[in-house]
Amino acid sequence: MSALLADALIVLGLAVITVGVYGVVRLPDVYTQLHAASKAAFLGAAALVASAAVEGDAATVTRAIVIVVLLTVTTPVAAHAIARAAHRREEPMRTEGAVDES
Amino acid sequence: MSNLVFYGALVWLAVLLGVVVVRLSTAGSATQRILALDLLTLVLIGLLALAAGEDQRAYALDAALALALLSFVATLAACRYLEDRKPFG
Repeated sequence: MSALLADALIVLGLAVITVGVYGVVRLPDVYTQLHAASKAAFLGAAALVASAAVEGDAATVTRAIVIVVLLTVTTPVAAHAIARAAHRREEPMRTEGAVDES
Repeated sequence: MSNLVFYGALVWLAVLLGVVVVRLSTAGSATQRILALDLLTLVLIGLLALAAGEDQRAYALDAALALALLSFVATLAACRYLEDRKPFG
């Protein structure tokens, strides 16, 4: 039963991380690519880490929890830093109908 | 964990890794390059977690943890350098 859960988490994580990579390859500018990289790819990686913890011993579960908490805290900060750098360097927004409200 | 899912996931993540590396080398701007590096680290963390789950090697997760920390600091330093050439000021 727990093996089935681990397999399901792996397939889910693969699907979500694939959506994230596809978004970064296809979206037009860095501001929209950040959506894919900081939400979809992060959640996919978190699902893969969770699949390692399903059948694991105490050492694996502890490390998995630490990794997921760390990623949850650091990913938004890194995404904000990238977006701020892009905006300060005045990179254009190439999305259709984009409005810069700053 | 069944072997088919493990090896399928291994191959699929390796393909994603290759796609991200190609994206990294063809990125249009410096911030897009930093973003692709960040994404590369996330895919690598997934790969290490997969290896840790297959045969209960907790040290693979240690490597993933170190990679996550390092990538966070590297992204912040690179972004602040791009902004005003003062990464630690």
